[in-house]
Amino acid sequence: MVVPAVLIFFVFHTVPVLQGVFYSFTDSPGYGPFELVGLRNYVALFGDPRVLHAYWFTFLIAGVSTVAVNVVSLTIAVWLNSRIAWRTTLRGIYFVPNILAILIVGYIFNYLFSNSLPALGERLGIGRLSTSLLTDSSTAWLGIVILAVWQAAAFNIIIYIAGLQTVPVDLYEASAIDGASPWRQFRSITFPMIAGFFTINMVLSLKSFLQIFDHIVALTGGGPGTDTESVALLIYKGGFQGGEYGYQSANSVVFFVVIVTLSIVQLRFLQKRETSV
Amino acid sequence: MLPRRNPPRRVITLLAVALLLAAGLSACAGDGRTTITFFQFKGEAQEYFRTLAARFEAQNPDVRVVVDNPADPETALRTRLVKNDVPDVMTLNGNGTFGEFASARIFRDLTGDPVLEGVNRSYLDVIATLGRGGPGEVNGVPFAANASGLLYNVDLFEEHGVAVPRTFSELIAAARTFRDAGVTPFYGMLADSWTAQSPLAPLSAQLQPDDFFEQRFRDGTTFARGWASTAAQLARLFEYTQPDPLSKGYEDGTAAFARGESAMLLLGSYAVPQIRFGKPDFTIGSMALPATEDPARTTLVSGVDVVLAASRQGDHPAEVDRFLRFLMRRPVMEEYCRAQVAVPTLEGLSNDDPALAGVSEYIESGRIVGFTDHQFIPAIPLGPLLQSFLISGDERAFLRDLDEDWDKVAARRTWGLGAVIA
Amino acid sequence: MRTVRVNWWLTALLVVLSLTVLIPLYFAVVTAFKTPDQLGGTGFALPDGLHWANFADAWRLTGFPKAALNSAVITVGAVVLTLLTNSMVAYAIARNMDRRFFRGLYLYFVSALFVPFPIIMLPVAKQTAILHLDNRAGLIVLYVVYGLAFNIFVFTAYINSIPRELEEAAAIDGASTWITFWRVIFPLLTPMNATVGILTCLWAWNDFLLPLVILSDPGSATLPLVQYVFQSQFQTNYPVAFASYLMAMAPLFVVYVFSQRWVISGVVRGAVK
Repeated sequence: MVVPAVLIFFVFHTVPVLQGVFYSFTDSPGYGPFELVGLRNYVALFGDPRVLHAYWFTFLIAGVSTVAVNVVSLTIAVWLNSRIAWRTTLRGIYFVPNILAILIVGYIFNYLFSNSLPALGERLGIGRLSTSLLTDSSTAWLGIVILAVWQAAAFNIIIYIAGLQTVPVDLYEASAIDGASPWRQFRSITFPMIAGFFTINMVLSLKSFLQIFDHIVALTGGGPGTDTESVALLIYKGGFQGGEYGYQSANSVVFFVVIVTLSIVQLRFLQKRETSV
Repeated sequence: MLPRRNPPRRVITLLAVALLLAAGLSACAGDGRTTITFFQFKGEAQEYFRTLAARFEAQNPDVRVVVDNPADPETALRTRLVKNDVPDVMTLNGNGTFGEFASARIFRDLTGDPVLEGVNRSYLDVIATLGRGGPGEVNGVPFAANASGLLYNVDLFEEHGVAVPRTFSELIAAARTFRDAGVTPFYGMLADSWTAQSPLAPLSAQLQPDDFFEQRFRDGTTFARGWASTAAQLARLFEYTQPDPLSKGYEDGTAAFARGESAMLLLGSYAVPQIRFGKPDFTIGSMALPATEDPARTTLVSGVDVVLAASRQGDHPAEVDRFLRFLMRRPVMEEYCRAQVAVPTLEGLSNDDPALAGVSEYIESGRIVGFTDHQFIPAIPLGPLLQSFLISGDERAFLRDLDEDWDKVAARRTWGLGAVIA
Repeated sequence: MRTVRVNWWLTALLVVLSLTVLIPLYFAVVTAFKTPDQLGGTGFALPDGLHWANFADAWRLTGFPKAALNSAVITVGAVVLTLLTNSMVAYAIARNMDRRFFRGLYLYFVSALFVPFPIIMLPVAKQTAILHLDNRAGLIVLYVVYGLAFNIFVFTAYINSIPRELEEAAAIDGASTWITFWRVIFPLLTPMNATVGILTCLWAWNDFLLPLVILSDPGSATLPLVQYVFQSQFQTNYPVAFASYLMAMAPLFVVYVFSQRWVISGVVRGAVK
């Protein structure tokens, strides 16, 4: 029963990877005739500002969002795990964003950013707010990060709560008797105990934010200009719309190498931290 | 909080119901009719083509027409091509992408097909120059042409005593008059970046050297040299938009224009139905966009707005032929052109819509040029580049980006270069 | 010392913070009930009366019932098939970890966690079409296959914690591996099945990129895809658009409200292993 699974997986996952590698050496538009061009696509990639910008932008969004999501969700998880009223209901509410489609939530946020915030800004007389954040390259990324954090924090909160419940209560009681402040407790008991969960969340968040796509389609479509294109969006747009299937296949191969390298580095680094804390 | 052992019964019931639905869905497929796919790119004419397809089905009970109106049609069509899933019949815009597909031998050769009878030769030439599958091939049927100058609000022009501008400086003067009167001269719709290409086409057609694109394909010139004045004048026009033109798109713009919030709209005839959508009897004037100081040099940009094409390797050529012939009947085209304010492509048909009155003399006397933006290889993000330029106003950077992108894209491929013969 | 005092300050703070989640949803609801001329301003005002026609328009314009059905079929199909197949594969791998071949397989599957979908987007579009799987069935297959990487990872960890005595007892009774799995192991996997089922359900229901590149026939479009098309064509008709967003989000939301505790604990189990 494993053999068919492996075969199917090979056909739908490994073969496309290999195909992508093959096409990356061609100038195929994905249909019709094409020629082998050797490494030319790869050389062109490194001199293409649109591609380089997409990488830079993707790292920016992924980096900022990963940090922001983990800070926000760890904080809220710690609070939700304290002695509060209506704990279940509140947890239920905080988990809601995770069950909604990013694209659709993105459209709602798009309206909020484009119409409601400027109206609010005008009412409060804040000039900075009175134009939409999404229409300016220097602020559009912020809108994308806000949506990303809003949507992704939910899942991470739940994981952190699970982690916090593995911390024995008597540790806190002992330290409370020693007169440790809450922050001190967090630093020396809570965080070391849930370091494993922190690692999982950091790795998973980064990986999912590096593939950011829906958020951008819903909020900016990659604009203004091509200033908010992520790598995934560029592969889609260039590969299909621009008819540069082969070129974007090369981009995919490079992206793959980048992601694997990053993931390995991240895992090594975080696991070292886990044991050394 | 103790986790429950089992899922609530409700959830299980819901899942079961959904499964039953799924089973029911797979049961109702196939009714013995031949299915042809009709890929329809034009958002504004969605309803119209749906009705047409339904009418065709009523007359041809053996054929089922699946109409596909995707978002982002060019990407959707290319995605289908990558999948080797070419729709049986397509409407496309007669632009660079059409040429690229034609050269890649996606479309059937219609040479000698009765469906071409009575089609105006000059429009056949237009699509032939975009690109074709081989010498002498005809890869599409021009269905409707457009006129792309600019649209203006007749009432506002009268109210403010502005005459139809015949030179570029008169156009700017008119814009200034409106701005001083508190009316937005041109409504900026940069959220849809393609809208910036609309004024770009007439400006560049009148301002660039005659053989500019031929030279550009041969690396004999650069945008920095041939398009400097085009970029400068385009930027001038966009000085007269509402603040924050980037937060509004095509639909916002056409709606605002219909509400009388802007005096002019830098769009072609294709936008008229959209403008009239909420206001059927709104008077719209049109004019060719003057780019120079000599009215005699003003030309009208006109292209084939809608081309019908059929898949080269379709499974149902007979049914497709029937459908194509149905679409190309005179009454159908007349009705379409009336509804969409388009220029008919069949000899002997014309469109006397008042929104075309201002440009009809150009059409009749043949003072017509094609869309220069169709010369761009689709992989160049022309719309986004224009969008960035019109926000930053940095002409030098824009021209440099155009040149760099052009050279980079050209260096990356061996096909489809210079296929468009101006 | 041991009295549980409720920290009301913190409770209040969390309630206020939960508004960040609720406000966009509130906003979507009020907008969906407005007429176009009530728009404008910050948009947080309540509508004058409930304008139900928006929902009727959205229902008609997006072909809501068809799209909802497509989404449901794809989601249910993906969840059911995933649970039936992935657990089985994981079981085979988990119980043979001592053999190099299976250890290699495990690594092969799990390493796919590092291959984000955009990387194989272009070839997969081509390939599914060649196999005539650019339809709902193909989408279900893809969700099941792409779920393997993560699911084998969690199922294997869970199966490793199940003592082997039960299976050995079943083997002595003469049960085949097949029967042992379905009669003994699969019921024990229920908690993990719940987790995998929930995650697969959320993914398949809300996914946009995969349907976007795989589905060709407009008749099989899923809810997010339909919203995308609708958005491009009726972008300024906000009330109707919001009504259609609400309808697209509603089914899963309703299921969630009824089974919230169970969903959350299911997700947690996936993390704690």
